[in-house]
Amino acid sequence: MVITFILVFVLGILAGVVGAILGLGGGIIIVPALTLGFDMPMRTAVAASTVCIIATSTGAAVAFLRDRLTNTRVAIWLEMGTATGALTGALVAAWVNQRLLFILFGVLLAYSAYNMFRTRKEEHKEEVIPDAISQRLKLKGSYYDKALGRRIDYQVSRTIPGLIIMYFSGAAAGLLGIGAGIFKVPAMDQVMGMPFKASSATSNFMIGVTAASGAVVYFARGDVKPLVAGPVVLGVLIGAIVGARLMVHMKASKIRLFFMPILAYTALEMIYKGVKWW
Amino acid sequence: MVVGNDHEAGAEVHPIELVLARLLRLGSLIAAALLAVGIALMAMGMTVVAPKLITAGLLVLLGTPVMRVVAASIIFTKERDWHFAFFSIVVLCAMAAGIYFGKGD
Repeated sequence: MVITFILVFVLGILAGVVGAILGLGGGIIIVPALTLGFDMPMRTAVAASTVCIIATSTGAAVAFLRDRLTNTRVAIWLEMGTATGALTGALVAAWVNQRLLFILFGVLLAYSAYNMFRTRKEEHKEEVIPDAISQRLKLKGSYYDKALGRRIDYQVSRTIPGLIIMYFSGAAAGLLGIGAGIFKVPAMDQVMGMPFKASSATSNFMIGVTAASGAVVYFARGDVKPLVAGPVVLGVLIGAIVGARLMVHMKASKIRLFFMPILAYTALEMIYKGVKWW
Repeated sequence: MVVGNDHEAGAEVHPIELVLARLLRLGSLIAAALLAVGIALMAMGMTVVAPKLITAGLLVLLGTPVMRVVAASIIFTKERDWHFAFFSIVVLCAMAAGIYFGKGD
């Protein structure tokens, strides 16, 4: 049992580091590892993974907030979309065709992977022209990029499309149980014109809120098994703290390079899930 | 000129980030301590207390995102930033509704 503890703990550290750097929840690593590697039931794995999302978010946020990478105003604005989306997703889950959704969201992710590949060499974006709402709500930010050694100022654009995408990303998380951060980073980076590192840090900040409602439900149902979740969550917490410190010193282009294969893999996995029963 | 400098500095310092960072650090430290002690006790064979400590740690962690939205709504209200105070409340309501409806099935 101690061996399992240690292995699960190490798995958690790995998922935490990756999750913190990329702005994802790490469920993409934890769920398959717990179900395939440790023969755990899906419900237990998904419940543990949901608590891990909160651990990644909370653990990494401290460093990101200090370095001003997290944009709290943008986060609160977009959380309205993710939280109401997740709620809608949970409510309509019984009436929708999951397979079709998997394919639809998979194609969407594939497109954003392609888009990210196209712009992979950009270290920063061309001048973004902010829209009226962004100016009114002061959805801007400024941080010192430790990798580039200079200050980055930005103001987001396409505020409403961003919010709408977040609504659907929340709904996807509620309906499909995956995709906590994987839609959020491209939405901020590619649609709203936010710098990649700020997008990743802000996504990281937001995923904890989306996961919290789900985690409370799993707790109430008794799906969160302390002996499984305990070691993996502790690992993720430590991993996320370390990962966040690494991330602030990394170049955006390098982080993108890690992000792209995961994006492409998730896209394929989702499309596969959608077509495999046909 | 001094006023101008102060104004610029004021625009750059966002106390909300520091308050939230402190809150989240406190939450993650308490959670990590409870989890670590719980796991250590479990490894030592204390199978009665250990799961309770671990559960407590997980619950503390679970509370951090909720607390930080609550804290943000308080800070925005204090700063009379009504838009963002309202947005925070929308988020809180959606979270609460998510929990309520999630428990239903």
